[in-house]
Amino acid sequence: MTRLPYRRLGAAMCIAALTLALAACGGQEYPNSTFIHNSEINTDIIALWDRILFMGTLVFIFVEGLLIYTIFRFRAKPNAPLPKPVHGNHTLEIVWTLLPVLILIPIAVPTVKTIFKTQAPAAADALQVEVYGHQWWWEFRYPQYGVTTANELYLPAGKTVAFTLRTVDVLHSFWTPALAGKRDLISNKTNYMWYTPDAKLAEDAFNGFCTEYCGSSHANMRFRVYTTTPENFESWAAHQKLAAAGSPAALAATASADSAAKKAPARAAIIPTPAPVPVSNVGYIFPESKLKSHNVPHTPIPASLTFDDALLASADVAAGHALVTNIANLGKAPCLTCHIIKGEGAMLNLSDNGAKGPNLTHVGTRHTFAGGLFPTNAANVARWIKNAQVMKPGATMNTFGIGEYSALIKAKVTAGLTDKEIADIVAYLMSLK
Amino acid sequence: MATTAAPAPINTPAGTSYAPGEATGIWSWLTTVDHKRIGTLYLWTALTFFIVAGIEAFIIRLQLMKPNNQLVSAEMYNQLFTMHGTTMVFLVIMPLSAAFFNYLIPLQIGARDVAFPRLNAFSYWVYLFGGIFMTVPIFFNVAPNGGWFGYAPLTTMQFSGGLNIDFWVIGLQILGVSSLAAAFNFITTIINMRAPGMSLMRMPIFTWMSFVVQFLLILAFPAITIALFFLQFDRFFGTQFYEIAAGADPLLWQHLFWVFGHPEVYILILPAFGLASEILPTFSKKPLFGYNVMVYSGIMIGFLGFGVWAHHMFAVGMGATADTIFAMATLLIGIPTGVKIFNWVATMWGGNIRFTVAMKFAISLVALFTIGGISGVMHSSPPTDLQQTDTYFIVAHFHYVLFGGSIMGIMGGIYFYYPKIFGRYMSEKLGNWHFWSFFVGMNMTFFPMHYAGMLGMPRRIYTYDIGQGWEQFNLWSTVGALLQGVGLICFVYNFVKSRKRGEVAPNDAWGAGTLEWSIPSPPPDYNFAKIPYVTSRYPLWDIKQPEMTAELTHTAPDAGVIADAHAVPMHEETQYYTAKSLGIPMPFPTIKPFFAALFMVLMMAGLVFIHLDLFWVAIFVMIGSGAAFVGSLYGWLTSPLE
Repeated sequence: MTRLPYRRLGAAMCIAALTLALAACGGQEYPNSTFIHNSEINTDIIALWDRILFMGTLVFIFVEGLLIYTIFRFRAKPNAPLPKPVHGNHTLEIVWTLLPVLILIPIAVPTVKTIFKTQAPAAADALQVEVYGHQWWWEFRYPQYGVTTANELYLPAGKTVAFTLRTVDVLHSFWTPALAGKRDLISNKTNYMWYTPDAKLAEDAFNGFCTEYCGSSHANMRFRVYTTTPENFESWAAHQKLAAAGSPAALAATASADSAAKKAPARAAIIPTPAPVPVSNVGYIFPESKLKSHNVPHTPIPASLTFDDALLASADVAAGHALVTNIANLGKAPCLTCHIIKGEGAMLNLSDNGAKGPNLTHVGTRHTFAGGLFPTNAANVARWIKNAQVMKPGATMNTFGIGEYSALIKAKVTAGLTDKEIADIVAYLMSLK
Repeated sequence: MATTAAPAPINTPAGTSYAPGEATGIWSWLTTVDHKRIGTLYLWTALTFFIVAGIEAFIIRLQLMKPNNQLVSAEMYNQLFTMHGTTMVFLVIMPLSAAFFNYLIPLQIGARDVAFPRLNAFSYWVYLFGGIFMTVPIFFNVAPNGGWFGYAPLTTMQFSGGLNIDFWVIGLQILGVSSLAAAFNFITTIINMRAPGMSLMRMPIFTWMSFVVQFLLILAFPAITIALFFLQFDRFFGTQFYEIAAGADPLLWQHLFWVFGHPEVYILILPAFGLASEILPTFSKKPLFGYNVMVYSGIMIGFLGFGVWAHHMFAVGMGATADTIFAMATLLIGIPTGVKIFNWVATMWGGNIRFTVAMKFAISLVALFTIGGISGVMHSSPPTDLQQTDTYFIVAHFHYVLFGGSIMGIMGGIYFYYPKIFGRYMSEKLGNWHFWSFFVGMNMTFFPMHYAGMLGMPRRIYTYDIGQGWEQFNLWSTVGALLQGVGLICFVYNFVKSRKRGEVAPNDAWGAGTLEWSIPSPPPDYNFAKIPYVTSRYPLWDIKQPEMTAELTHTAPDAGVIADAHAVPMHEETQYYTAKSLGIPMPFPTIKPFFAALFMVLMMAGLVFIHLDLFWVAIFVMIGSGAAFVGSLYGWLTSPLE
């Protein structure tokens, strides 16, 4: 014990400090930082955090300083006399029982204030959003607008949003770190939270995450929040509530002369419908150019899952439409038994609560799919339909690619879709703007 | 009791790793009821599980080293983090503490064994078999995958149909039996078997902290036992405590789990506090500062620990009033904890500090636990907790508490008590390598996690996308984990090698003042040839360094008491005898607790066959093992103790 240990302790501290310095000044961006004043809730939390951090730093410096000083100052020296055997000191002990109290009171008081402030009822005129957690994706409903969408949440900047949080299966937790704290989604319960994205967030995208462990693909249960101007939001919502492009209802709305569709929308589903007319006005869509690199998923596509991408270029929208929406094809392509495409499959009469999968009415306007795991493009969607379980562990969607091994039924799919059929379906889905 | 007039000492070859004159061989270990051997078994077994859970952690770190990594599958990752947590809590830290409870409590209070030596053996074997039952499935990809907290409804049959959760539910029930049996045993031992003169407020501080922990165990474990029984009945017998389709409230599980789970944190940390409180005074050459306050604050921490469970649940939406109450209760815990930190520093203040490896670990406990305490205050405030809970900030926090606190304290305890247990010192050189790679590696692994969490990284994710701002922190954490791995290798090598080659240790290996240092190292099976009369809190200092205890009130040995208790004045024992030559009746070794434990575990484990659709096999195994269990118990109860 001749070497001086405090020097080595110092070296260790230096390494730790260096780690932090490197980490903090690495020039990296922190898109999910909780320290950005993007909403009044986050501003309140940051104010509270700053105070606790200040008190914590005081305690840290005092205690660790005292400790290091003590072990340095009272290290054993040769021929030192035996130390005085002090067993205690009542005054001192009372002082340092009270010391933590002095530190804790300035934390406790603003804590209580902030609790009651942030958990007060939301403003009456707030935008209502219903969040539904699914294993492993997010459903967002706007009851005031009649809109249902998935994995991408549009919010008007500067307007308070009141969230109603529910889950259809296990527990999840709804978190957009850069906008507000999290709130759990509890089975058989309804939870509430609210916040107001700052008016300055006129066209910004944020990443959101599930933060309650919910099974295999907990890590793959992500979402995006797009903030935009109230006008843009209204434009988006107005279009999103319309029936799907090419559906009898949409055709009826655009081509009023077609009386057959008007009379019997239920029967229209079994009559092969013409190819959907490309939608001319799709309302506001969050511009792809405004997405930053961290908003675009980079999930690797499994190499084992192959698809003939050349088929995608020559795919037939009308054929895809018929495959998906014609009841006669339901055995082969039972999309509409789990997914709602508004205006289609009226015979199935699927309700929002009955739909197991995301609402696909305007799937072509979304930038991501599968719990925010992949960018919405033809190649990705095709592989997803072919074998979702390979794309995302535990995915509950059936495997449809013929000859593919399905992890769900633990067997090869014998009656499924060919690559050509999948390509047609993808073309149709991508046309659902 | 037949006493020989002058027992002859055994000729002792110095530095054997077990006391001379004792039985050796596998059979002697299977049948042992000696608290020291059982403690040693706990130590070896828990360290083995420590390596297993450490490897699990290392694979986790390798997977998270870079974004979108594909080293392990999502399913395997979920099993790894579940088993890392479950193993570290139930199979490593608790049993490492139990190793010290077993080994030290009787020695520290001047007893010849625990109150129920066979029950003690039973506790160990139940722990071993339960641990194997929980650990083996990961090699077959069917390990528990619901997290160590096992939140319903994810753990119900509807969402986790495989065998994975079955192993977890049944395994934890088995381990609960072990912990409860041991807790009752130690409480009885501490209350009834202290040497004459050792009042409660003269007990060594480690024994005091252990005493508090045993009460936490018997009060906290029933809560999780109930929660697990509900889940077990849901999974096997069709009840609907957590079945959401039947309208169950999943918060039932959370409340029951955390009513157990929070005291569990103190079950994990208080023994390490106790060990540090033994080490710091010894190497400062000073008595512990504020002994009374240390005892009271330990009791206070244990007491308050039962009133703060819902601070794990601020995100579930309990409402502003409940959030406030639990936040305030949580802040209160900062007070007794802060007092402990200051008392430790005051113990070292003015001392002659020798920086042995044990001392370095104990000092690092004070330094690192302080960081864990500060981050703990940060999420005791519900609004800030909403940005922290279920993120890597929490992972950082509790690793500072459980690694920086519990593991560092226990490691200090191992270096400190190794000479007592094995009769030889561990290598200080290797120990220094171990300490510094643990200390630096631990900080490098866990400190960056604070940043990752506050910058938005959720917990329990097997992968994350590029560009989220977490890459560097994760890379540092992985490098730190590598360094910890190096430390672990140094430790294991040191631990194994020093048994045969370490420097031979005398009775009083470090110059401490409590009873366990007054007897030979390793102690003979009977511990104390003559039970000493304890005159103060540091009986050994009373005779070796009286100036250290001059300030304390002493009681002179009362002649009457001595005669009653066969106690003699405080003394050192340097010779080995056989218990027989001393006329000390020793409990017979017996295999019955081993079989009782084996058959009880098989009986509980047999339930798994139901989910393999082997109903009659399940019935056969359970009833057969149940009968054998009862038979073993009958044999146990009818065979004479000594």
